[in-house]
Amino acid sequence: MYQLQLTRRYLTSRLTPLLAVAAVALCVALVIVVVSVMTGFLNMVLASGRTLMGDVVISNPVRGFPHYDLLIETLEGDDRVLAATPVIDTFGSVRMPYPDGDSKDSANVQIWGIEPESFSAVTGYSDTLHWDSLPESAAPHVLRDALSTAGPEVANALDDESKVRLLRATAAEETNDKSDDELMTFVAATQHDGWEIRMRIVALDGPDALKAAVNPEAWQLIVEADPRLGSAAQVQREGLTLTRDGRAAMVMGLHVSKANDRGPDGETVIARDGWWWMPRFDVTVSMLPIAARGGFLEPENISLPVVNEFQSGVYLVDQTRVLMPLDVVQSLTHLDEADRVDPDDPLTVIGTDPARVTMVLVRGVEGVTPTELREITRELWRRFEHAAAALEGGTDVPILDLSPGLGIKTWEQQNASFIGPVEKEREMMRTLFSIIYLVCGALIVAIFWAIVYEKTRDIGILRSVGAPRSGIVTIFLLYGLVVGVLGSFTGLVLGWGITSNVNVIHDALAAPPQWPGFACIAAGIGLLALGVRIGRGRRLLPVLLGVYAFVACAAAGGGLLMLHAAGGIQIWDPSVYYFDTVPNTVDWNAALLTALAAVVVSVVAASIPAAHAADIDPVRALRYE
Amino acid sequence: MSDTILLQAQGLAKTYHLDRVDVPVLDDCSLSVDKGEWLAILGASGSGKSTLLHLLGGLDTADTGSIQIGETSFGGAPPSVLDRIRASRVGFVFQLYHLLPELTVLENAMLPATVPSGVGAVSGRSRAIELLERFGLQDRLHHRPRELSGGERQRTALARALVNDPDVLLADEPTGNLDAKTGEAILDVLADLHRDGLTMVIVTHDHAIARRADRVLTLHGRRLQEVPELS
Repeated sequence: MYQLQLTRRYLTSRLTPLLAVAAVALCVALVIVVVSVMTGFLNMVLASGRTLMGDVVISNPVRGFPHYDLLIETLEGDDRVLAATPVIDTFGSVRMPYPDGDSKDSANVQIWGIEPESFSAVTGYSDTLHWDSLPESAAPHVLRDALSTAGPEVANALDDESKVRLLRATAAEETNDKSDDELMTFVAATQHDGWEIRMRIVALDGPDALKAAVNPEAWQLIVEADPRLGSAAQVQREGLTLTRDGRAAMVMGLHVSKANDRGPDGETVIARDGWWWMPRFDVTVSMLPIAARGGFLEPENISLPVVNEFQSGVYLVDQTRVLMPLDVVQSLTHLDEADRVDPDDPLTVIGTDPARVTMVLVRGVEGVTPTELREITRELWRRFEHAAAALEGGTDVPILDLSPGLGIKTWEQQNASFIGPVEKEREMMRTLFSIIYLVCGALIVAIFWAIVYEKTRDIGILRSVGAPRSGIVTIFLLYGLVVGVLGSFTGLVLGWGITSNVNVIHDALAAPPQWPGFACIAAGIGLLALGVRIGRGRRLLPVLLGVYAFVACAAAGGGLLMLHAAGGIQIWDPSVYYFDTVPNTVDWNAALLTALAAVVVSVVAASIPAAHAADIDPVRALRYE
Repeated sequence: MSDTILLQAQGLAKTYHLDRVDVPVLDDCSLSVDKGEWLAILGASGSGKSTLLHLLGGLDTADTGSIQIGETSFGGAPPSVLDRIRASRVGFVFQLYHLLPELTVLENAMLPATVPSGVGAVSGRSRAIELLERFGLQDRLHHRPRELSGGERQRTALARALVNDPDVLLADEPTGNLDAKTGEAILDVLADLHRDGLTMVIVTHDHAIARRADRVLTLHGRRLQEVPELS
């Protein structure tokens, strides 16, 4: 009982144990933050890899393989396969029609030709579409474009009441003193032709303002000019079908263009007025098809509207990948169906070369692991090889384990060159940061040794009233346990707080406001004044602590102000770390293990000074001054 | 050992080994204390009287010799036996009080009751309150030692020494840190306890204190000598 009582009193009556608690808390928090971010990073890599590629990837780069429809039919005929989708993976360049200035920037991109519906079934494509409606800032531009196309027709369809509303909305001073009847008479009697301009003025306030001003028939004509104005979901629909008005379209990664920036709050902000939402700003795509015997053929170009953007979360992908309809890419890469001609007489058609794809992505049903699905896919590929052999051009189907280009890999294997190093990095960080426990243990030994030194006479007193050595050991072990538990708990909370808000902290560092810098300096001045006041010229320690606090706060404040002046610092560069946000989910398994380890280290470290305390000769302890 | 003798020591010797120098302190010291007797041991500073008291209470061990309290002999006994003796058979009072600053008066007084051989927290608490009230500290139960006067601190230490109802009270210069009036008051308390039958051994250099004892021994030249009557 006396052990518990003394442990509690020692903890609450001295500052020294708080130092030990702080040391443990900082160590635990540090390990939790580092391991959580690294684990989160790895999980994001794994999750995005699966989202982007499905479970298994069948690939034969460049040349691709024919009869992929049969392959997909074979795959989907197996009840362990949920879906499969054909993809052409190739490269090209896109020319951006930025409307401001003369810039016509080009970017090299990875082009994926896809069938959107089956692609969505295999990957998380539909969830990655960034825009589910027209961006607010883009809507007036789209409306203005629609009015440019359909303006005269819409003006003819306006009824008198709409015209009165347009008059009131655009000519306030002239209409204020007139009644609706007077304006109706005015509208009916006047051959006024400025309705298009008045509609454009109202359109500056957005589609809702114009919709409220004009009659339904007129609005219907505007919507027919651009259906996105009629239905918010149209934007997503177009993205999911890769079409606009029956015409092929493309979806770009969110960071391919310069139109989007990541704001300080982590949200995407439109930097260039949503240029690509307007019909006339198409993107030109150029590709270099490769001949069957190798070598580049003449470049192929096509202009396509951009109907949406996707954000996978992997910066590298979002920065370089564009998605286009499979048939368009097949045509541009010359992997579409073509006549087979006689090599000796090129004018004689001797058959048909079936269309090809370079990849088929496969997703398994729930419960089938990627590794199991890979084996299933290999088995189904062999069945496909046999079935395709009888078809025209079937001899071009690569043979499993014989054709060097053909690969059937799980998404983890496909990304092994990236996942492997991340896993190693995490383990390395975990190992390196485990050294912190040694630091933590050494700190506790030093702090507890000082406490034992300070409590030497107490130990003598306890021994004089009959407390056994084990009782003395128990006091300091309990002390270590409580310090470990309190420190671990505080470290858990601190680690959770930092990890959960790591993006807020990161973004604050990227664009730091001025006030924290000034606040730090003010706090430093306050602490200096407090130290001087407590010291009052008689005690040096408070003054010294005040000076140190001032120097630390001033340095921190000065650093923050310099950071502000320099425009902030971006520690987590998405182009380096692939993801555009820092992983911010606590790895609770690792966190709890870390906390438990810290408790064990605290108790073990405390046992050394505890044993020393028990060994102190009670007579000498009582005489200790 | 006769039925009347409570504490007996035979041939105690103690030498301190300081670095390379041996400092003999006690040599062939023998004494016996009867039940209910008040024995004073007189000696100059550094004569070894505190060491003798520590040996008698099992706080230190003698190089040679034996000690017996009642039926319990503990010369050369293992530490666990000495722990039990300190907890249940003897009560120490020191010149510098030696109270734990983090504990209140009541908590200090009941501390020995909570160690393994003590009477237990519940009994110890009521016994400590009873003793503290007897010593006039009923209004100071929840005060910290730093809030007490020297006399109050020593009375708290006295209550702590008696809370496990020991066979013998061992006091080391109990008034040495007090002014004359306060010291006299403490001696009155001790005399009162002695009248109630408490066996006491007090070491002191103060003849005035020794004079109040039933019997006086002097420690001189590392040996004990009987003093027939103090002048």
